[in-house]
Amino acid sequence: MKTSGGITRRSLVVGVGGTVALCALGTVRSVGASPLVRPPGGQDFERLIAGCIRCEKCVEVCPRHVVKPAHIEAGVIGMRTPTLNFNDDYCDWCREENDGTPLCVRVCPTEALALPPEAEVETTLLGLAELDASTCLAYRDTGCRFCYDACPYFAIELDEHNRPFVINNKCNGCGACEAVCVSLENGSISTGATERAIVVRALDENGNAVDGLSEGGATS
Amino acid sequence: MNSNRLRAIVVLAVMVLLTIGYITHLDFGTLSAVGWSTVSLICPLGALTTIVAAKLMIPRALITLVVVIILLVIFGRAFCAWVCPVPVVQKLRGLFSRKERGEIEASKPSGCTSCAKKRGAAWDSRHIILGGSVLSALIFGFPVFCLICPIGLTFASIFLIVNLFSAGDLTWTVVLAPLLLLGEVVFFRKWCAQICPLSAFMSLAAKKGRFFRPTIDDGKCLETTTNKPCGICGEVCPETIDPRHPNTSKSALNECTKCRVCVDNCPAQAIKLPIWAPKVTQSQSATPLTQEAQEAEGTEGAQGTEGARGAGSARGANKKS
Repeated sequence: MKTSGGITRRSLVVGVGGTVALCALGTVRSVGASPLVRPPGGQDFERLIAGCIRCEKCVEVCPRHVVKPAHIEAGVIGMRTPTLNFNDDYCDWCREENDGTPLCVRVCPTEALALPPEAEVETTLLGLAELDASTCLAYRDTGCRFCYDACPYFAIELDEHNRPFVINNKCNGCGACEAVCVSLENGSISTGATERAIVVRALDENGNAVDGLSEGGATS
Repeated sequence: MNSNRLRAIVVLAVMVLLTIGYITHLDFGTLSAVGWSTVSLICPLGALTTIVAAKLMIPRALITLVVVIILLVIFGRAFCAWVCPVPVVQKLRGLFSRKERGEIEASKPSGCTSCAKKRGAAWDSRHIILGGSVLSALIFGFPVFCLICPIGLTFASIFLIVNLFSAGDLTWTVVLAPLLLLGEVVFFRKWCAQICPLSAFMSLAAKKGRFFRPTIDDGKCLETTTNKPCGICGEVCPETIDPRHPNTSKSALNECTKCRVCVDNCPAQAIKLPIWAPKVTQSQSATPLTQEAQEAEGTEGAQGTEGARGAGSARGANKKS
């Protein structure tokens, strides 16, 4: 085996090949990823992606089981990074479990999830709830108002026909409304619906809610 | 107990414990960041590349690096033999091999071992890839290697399957993560020895320590007592270290994973892994063999080590049974 500078030629080829492969993989960054609803402290995408080693400690520690690893469908770069899924519960920054400091932020070993010191649960926007009147049971005069009752921030009000609507500037995307929405369980009347009638949408970098169709996250 | 079996049990126990911790939310983390609650030992490569990628002094990552380097100086690459799940996953390779399972692959003559610098003592492909991991994290602003790390993918695959059945979390990741993992261990047979940047990091740190290194009792060793070549310890070593002849060995002693295969296979029970292994003794470096014996031992050793590296544990098991 021939050597050049103390390293065998074969080692050099394998090593440089591996480095080139890693750099090629790094370009998935430019492919981009659809914005996802992230746990508290994960709103800065640059910071999240730089720090996340995909150890899934945040997923494991979440007492409400709402932190889930992101799917590859939302972009290779974000695969297995934390996202929020409000199927069963919502995020209130562990108010009961840890006095309002989110446990996911507390355990994150690389500070990929990191909250600014002045961050408040009310003003940190995880996403924005979006109500689809075509599948909402209340818009079929069933009198359903689960989301209105669940919202901790009074961001949902009822119109003159007792139908809920979202007050956008009060909603912080906590997911309480989505967690209690029964439209899919009682979805026989709204055939074709693939998600609940009220869903928390991810925000893009300009703070606008992202359309559900482009979202490949763990919301289902 | 046979060390091969003991090691497999320890590796599987770690995997089972961490999986149970994940399912029951005990918060042990994974091997990427193992520990409890806020105290966790981050993968040193992950800690290093996130610091580089985020261009931030992340306190817990820095503390981890210091602690891990101290542990590596003491225990060397013991992680590779006793904790890392990848060698266990590599056993799945048998399913894809056309050869009969357990059969030792035919070895190719592996050139001159003494003139090229030893693996572990000189730079090799793993070190370049370690540099490449840091470089790619710097350029692209995220730890690129974490995406394909087989240790991370092993736990990801387990957890994805757990999530699929416990929460109905359906995604292509549940197919792609295990496929990527299998691809890595099936197509890159020598992942650990030639690619793994974590193993490069560990062997670099292990250079500083002289703990738990294989040490031969010259009063028992067949070569020193009978003056005839034996060479079994060098043949069975999965890391191609020859504890008897470290000067002509393919790999340096900092590559030792403390797997104890040499201890198990020594016909005279002359090898120990003492807590403190002083410098190589004179008798160990100056071999008492004749020229002919050395040549015979050299070719035999090369054949043996090639096979032992590919199916090191299988070979060890064969010998026992």
